[in-house]
Amino acid sequence: MKTSHLIIASAVAAAIGLPGTVLGQAKAETEKCYGVSKAGQNDCQTASSSCAGTSKKDAQADAWIAVPKGTCAKIVGASLTPSK
Amino acid sequence: MSALSLADLQTAFRSACLGSDSPDLAALVDGERIGADARLRIYRHHVFDSLSTALGATFSSVLSLVGEGFFRMLAREYIAHTPPSGPVLSEYGADFPDFIERHERVRDLVYLADAARLDWALTRAYGSDGGTALTAAALAAIAPEALGELRLRLRMGVSLLRSAYPVDRIWAVAHGKDDASIDLASGGVELVVFQRDDDAAFARLTRGEAAMLVACDGATGLAVALERASDADSSFDFATALPKFLNLDILAAP
Repeated sequence: MKTSHLIIASAVAAAIGLPGTVLGQAKAETEKCYGVSKAGQNDCQTASSSCAGTSKKDAQADAWIAVPKGTCAKIVGASLTPSK
Repeated sequence: MSALSLADLQTAFRSACLGSDSPDLAALVDGERIGADARLRIYRHHVFDSLSTALGATFSSVLSLVGEGFFRMLAREYIAHTPPSGPVLSEYGADFPDFIERHERVRDLVYLADAARLDWALTRAYGSDGGTALTAAALAAIAPEALGELRLRLRMGVSLLRSAYPVDRIWAVAHGKDDASIDLASGGVELVVFQRDDDAAFARLTRGEAAMLVACDGATGLAVALERASDADSSFDFATALPKFLNLDILAAP
């Protein structure tokens, strides 16, 4: 336990001593996600096409879209192969 | 015209918005020029459109990965199954990742639920006020012999995410920040998701760092948390981990 306290105390001391150096490092490995969640913050959000409801099309009409067609095409790997 | 109590009327209208036709309700709606069912469908479409759009904003990686059409199909099923329980759109979708994980049609996209979890964690981090972060100065004020029993906690809104897949790189591909293709076999990640500069962000953690934070958040003293970290990862180095945590502002002030 004494060793543990010593390690903790010295790491704390080191962290205080070297803020500038480490800050640069930590920032570099941070992925900036600007804007990712902002759109969802708008609680007054309304559908852009609310008049779509007047169409004869039922809400389930495009449920036949069975295949994902997006950036997932760029992700490959053995576990993507259906196992069953 | 059948008489409905206010409660029954509201229940019937809610069901109509979520997809069930009700003759009792339709009988109460003016059917001139536009039929009653078509009028009610306007509300239904509006509900599904608004909520799909909100889910797409929150789960932007999933939206990008599967594409708009497929996403709306997923969203529609989810909305009918789990309508919002509160009025805040950005808080809607807590169990959308689990819904994705169970969904037969995306079973092959094994990483999709974890991508959704990352999206959700980013949204939560962004929406959280966080509170004050632990600083080196605050730590220095604690007597060295008390540090072993110190209970460190994650800041509000900070969360940890472990995935068997490289979800951070998958996120980057989904958001057009990385154009390389990703091999799922390249291994899993431990991520910490947090608020930063009026935004949300994530960073990779080593196994040891993640184990330490899990232990800390489970109300374990710092000395025990460090043992757990070393058990999980023999190369764990507290002297590297602590400055990293402090600079990411992921620990709460005591």
